[in-house]
Amino acid sequence: MAEFAVVGSSAPRLDGLEKATGRAVYVDDMTRPGLLHGAVLRSAYAHARIVAIDTAAALALPGVHCVLTGEDFPHRYGAFVQDEVALARDRVRYVGEPVAVLAAETPALARQAAALIAVDYEELPAVMTPEEALAPDAPLVHADFAGYARRVAVPLPPNVCAATTISEGDVDAAFAGCDVVVEGTYRTQAQVHCYLEPCGALAEADAAGKVTIWSSCQSVFRVQATVAEILGLPMARIRAVAAKVGGAFGGKSDVTVQPLAAALALRTRRPVRLVLTRDDDFMMMRTRHPATVWMKTGAMADGRLVARAARLTLDGGAYAEDSSAVLGFALLIARGPYRIEHVRMEGRVAYTNRLRAAGFRGYGNPQVTFAGECQIDEIAARLGRDPLDLRLQNAVRAGDDWVGGQRIEACGLVDCLERLRAALPPAAPGRGIGVACVAHISGILSTSAIVRVLEDGTVTLSTGAVDLGEGADTVLAQICAETLGLPLDRINYAVPDTDGSPYNWSTGGSRVTYMVGRAVTAAAGQARDRLFGHAAEMLECAAGDLELRPGGRVGIAGVPGPEITFRDISARAHWAVGGPIIGSASVMFEGGGFDPKRSAVTGNGIGKLGAFVFGAQAAEVEVDAVTGRIAVSRLWAAHDVGRAINPTAVAGQIAGGVAQGLGYALYEDLRFDGPNPANPTLMDYKVPGATEMPEIIPIIVEHPEPSGPFGAKGIGEPPLVPVAPAIANAVAALHGVRLRTLPLTPERVLAALDEA
Amino acid sequence: MTAVAYHRPACLDDALALLAADEDARPLAGGQTLVPMLNLDLLAPTAIVSLADLADLRGIAALADGSIRIGAMETHARIAASRIFAAGQALVPRAAGHIASPAIRNFGTIGGACAHGDPVSDWPVALVAADARIEIAGPAGRRGVAAADFFLGFLTTALEPGEIVTAIVVPPVPGRAIHLRYSRIDSDYATVIVAGAADIRDGICRSVRLAVGACGPVPVRLAAVEDLLTGRPLEPALVAAAGRMLAEAIDPLDDVRGSAAYRRRILPGLVARALAGVA
Amino acid sequence: MTARLTVNGRPCDLPEQGTATLLDLLRDQLMLTGAKRGCNYGVCGTCSVLIDGMLGRACLTLAADCAGRSVTTVEALDADGSPDPIQRCLVEAGAVQCGFCTPAMVLAARALLDANPRPSRAEIVAAISGNICRCSGYGAIVEAIAAAAHG
Ligand SMILES: Cc1cc2nc3c(=O)[nH]c(=O)nc-3n(C[C@H](O)[C@H](O)[C@H](O)COP(=O)(O)OP(=O)(O)OC[C@H]3O[C@@H](n4cnc5c(N)ncnc54)[C@H](O)[C@@H]3O)c2cc1C
Ligand code: FES
Ligand code: FES
Repeated sequence: MAEFAVVGSSAPRLDGLEKATGRAVYVDDMTRPGLLHGAVLRSAYAHARIVAIDTAAALALPGVHCVLTGEDFPHRYGAFVQDEVALARDRVRYVGEPVAVLAAETPALARQAAALIAVDYEELPAVMTPEEALAPDAPLVHADFAGYARRVAVPLPPNVCAATTISEGDVDAAFAGCDVVVEGTYRTQAQVHCYLEPCGALAEADAAGKVTIWSSCQSVFRVQATVAEILGLPMARIRAVAAKVGGAFGGKSDVTVQPLAAALALRTRRPVRLVLTRDDDFMMMRTRHPATVWMKTGAMADGRLVARAARLTLDGGAYAEDSSAVLGFALLIARGPYRIEHVRMEGRVAYTNRLRAAGFRGYGNPQVTFAGECQIDEIAARLGRDPLDLRLQNAVRAGDDWVGGQRIEACGLVDCLERLRAALPPAAPGRGIGVACVAHISGILSTSAIVRVLEDGTVTLSTGAVDLGEGADTVLAQICAETLGLPLDRINYAVPDTDGSPYNWSTGGSRVTYMVGRAVTAAAGQARDRLFGHAAEMLECAAGDLELRPGGRVGIAGVPGPEITFRDISARAHWAVGGPIIGSASVMFEGGGFDPKRSAVTGNGIGKLGAFVFGAQAAEVEVDAVTGRIAVSRLWAAHDVGRAINPTAVAGQIAGGVAQGLGYALYEDLRFDGPNPANPTLMDYKVPGATEMPEIIPIIVEHPEPSGPFGAKGIGEPPLVPVAPAIANAVAALHGVRLRTLPLTPERVLAALDEA
Repeated sequence: MTAVAYHRPACLDDALALLAADEDARPLAGGQTLVPMLNLDLLAPTAIVSLADLADLRGIAALADGSIRIGAMETHARIAASRIFAAGQALVPRAAGHIASPAIRNFGTIGGACAHGDPVSDWPVALVAADARIEIAGPAGRRGVAAADFFLGFLTTALEPGEIVTAIVVPPVPGRAIHLRYSRIDSDYATVIVAGAADIRDGICRSVRLAVGACGPVPVRLAAVEDLLTGRPLEPALVAAAGRMLAEAIDPLDDVRGSAAYRRRILPGLVARALAGVA
Repeated sequence: MTARLTVNGRPCDLPEQGTATLLDLLRDQLMLTGAKRGCNYGVCGTCSVLIDGMLGRACLTLAADCAGRSVTTVEALDADGSPDPIQRCLVEAGAVQCGFCTPAMVLAARALLDANPRPSRAEIVAAISGNICRCSGYGAIVEAIAAAAHG
């Protein structure tokens, strides 16, 4: 199927060899003349008033250049609630919160100096769980909440930073008419991103006071905007550049240490590198939102799903950050990919004195899908139906509407389920198979691209999209190459740099292939049109008669004869006529809100965000009767990607997402012992190793998305989402026990088996 | 930053002299435990005394009585790969082969692990099960201590200041080796370890030894359990009773690797599985 | 007489600080940044190097203790300008994502294949069992190593 030359081929990633040979440069590998090293002092208390900070001893150490504290960061920031400061001021709100930062000649000296900073705290009562936070008369995490600027200024109860409800139809009446109703409470845990590269930034200020920040981040533009907000500087004085990123998964989507490094560089007038230790990263950074999900689903005797209600409480930790959006998205997606007419989704995010919760691959979806997909199996069990069949009966199809009224333009869910069914082995003794589906979106906000034809006819593509390892740069270069009829090696993917790259919101939301890909298609198309404009003059024909020929050549359609090369055209443009050829495009996913005729919404309801993406997975498990340990032997993952621009990259996203989903399902859990994280090290917090991996069978389904580049849409997040419910459903199929708390530890499995 | 001296003595006496001269000096074996503690600022020794060149601390060799002498500086990997151990003694290489992952096994040593005395680690329980003897050299001369008397508690051993573990001697162990280790993921420290050996013929247990690790400050081995099983057919009820006795005797913590109740809950099943594996 | 170690065939001096690790020496003094500092306490495996041909953790090894030993880092593997087959196979199999684990995976695989040129799948898995990859799910890495061995 040679429909395309470059799109659809598994081109090796552009920087693969650079990474495999150890030559790729991550922040901690960078240096500058006169480089200083930063270190951060963390709060030892979950909630305390800072009475005084004595930095004299640290400053007295020879080689220590500057110590900054909360007083040096007067500006509050936050995307939804301006509740956050770069360093704690007056109060600390979680164990690990940064309290002071300093710059010194060596990393060891910086650490030594940080230990000499004396902070006098007055401990305050803390709330460590949403239950504690939402109890009457609970201590307030943010006593000044009423004074904070907020994007959605609805009234909120104490210790709540976001609350939203979405409803459609008449849920209560619908439940009353149901033949089967299942109801339960599901609990999910704090998963840590555990990107292998700890957060870091290197900042350097020039004589005019402009700061350049190289960092490990998901968006140079978000870094630029947020650092400007925090430092109270115009954005034009901040330049953010992407270093190689050693994994992010949502954890580097907000700023991490960039504001601190920038402030140190401005103060010391020396370049400063601040790279967190793994301990600091665990204690200071972020986790997935722990959630309690009460859910109820009702069906008719014939299997038709008719109603679903959910109440969601997310633990947001000490600062709001993106919690409001995570909640909104979780509620939007909680119906699941089924034709359920009556829904009521309610949720809130509680402040607690724990480290911040943030976006993490799935963005609120894994929590609600765990509950929702378990309930589909619970209903199937009650009706005596095959769970896969029941899903097929109710699955959404192209042309259906989502909650809120957005049309699903393309949908391969039925196909995913059919392909799974065909792949699954017959039942075997001692093995259980469970299925789960996922719906997600691919899109969000705006982006842009610039395609420049260089003098020799090769091309530089700038998009501002940071590649986090998923291969976005390669896929975007493939889209550009295909549009221009060039081989991939003629495309240079520019390093994202706010000084030169066009705006891109972020690498997240499974959006880069779909959104940035659209911008690249349009920008490359414009460059092609301009090339044709020149070619028409050079070949003395109409531009409409021209065609691209492989390898950067233009000829007259249907006429084998005269041909000119991009090099000829670009030379003409550069040196004789018209000036350099540049194509550019801006794209916005114009989502908009809910259709008021069908949905009632309060709070920050998030409506149309992007194109819908779908998938279905099946897990095959065995359970050790002695230890209760679940072993997943095989996992089939069918995902509709619209079109696989790079099948190997798609398979890589599927396998990587499944691996993180497996960790979420079985092992990963940042626990707390009173106010302190109980296992904030890689020794105690376990992510899956090679030995733990099942055989993963990726099944790529392609139902082209009309608005996507070559029909493509995203795959970054969905593969993680259905793993946990598929495994829980497999255990239920094997032993008839329903596990409702993640992770599915051996201990919980045994307890459930004991009860059964 | 104060400089920390690094010494590399060429013989045991020099090493002992260096340690005797400076009570804050630390012996260094594989470094797989000591170095992370240094990196995390959990230790601040004044000097490092590397044991790398001490020939006395090397070698895995059979002694005349069938015992195997393992030099303290022998690595987990070399012990795991050694073919010198007889069927019962094989619990020792099996324990070695389960530690962490290849890179750690290539450098971590049996002597370092013993000296560190971490109750969740793999060596203490294996050596108690094997009735091994820990050979020690120190300012006051040489001595040997039975493993059961060497591991005294959490990071606490019978080593006196200035002493060095020189070797571990594993006597002949009748029967076939038992080594069962349950951990959250493969490369993690264990949640429960059952180590030992048993001689089971025609369903009758002729001899048995069973020790439980990672379930309390020291490995647990009960004469009463071994007596109960010895000379009898290994009926499920008997095995279950033995498992329950061990489960009652252990003193585990609630931690991220499992609750105390969980460890107690799974131990009898693991004991049964271990015995079934050598029946 | 100053004790020295050899890094990628070149002799080099030991650091003065007795507690400096091999990783400190490689990254901070020798600017060999292929060995990464993912945790600095032995768990992640990103600092893997070969010490006398054996896979080891540079963060758990004192530089001074390497006197007389020969250390190989990832930078040596393509020093002649042509990448090791393992490196090529990793790239071709799509086993490189963020790449932070990759140099260490290359060395873990090199150590395996040097000792066991025809490893089974289980042996490959065991050989990388101490090296975390958070991106790939490992399958492509295992395939790539198998391809390097058998291809
Ligand atoms: C990631 C990781 C995972 C691990 N997982 C496991 C596991 O699953 N199971 C397990 O059992 N272990 C595990 N370990 C520990 C590992 O086995 C260590 O190698 C071992 O505990 C210590 O051995 P060493 O030779 O490295 O000792 P070192 O680190 O050199 O020394 C340890 C301590 O003993 C002292 N010491 C060393 N040698 C002697 C001696 N001969 N006489 C007196 N004192 C001495 C040192 O001063 C130091 O205090 C793990 C380690 C790491 C880093
Ligand atoms: S940095 Fe050495 S193992 Fe993580
Ligand atoms: S590729 Fe990112 S950790 Fe392995």
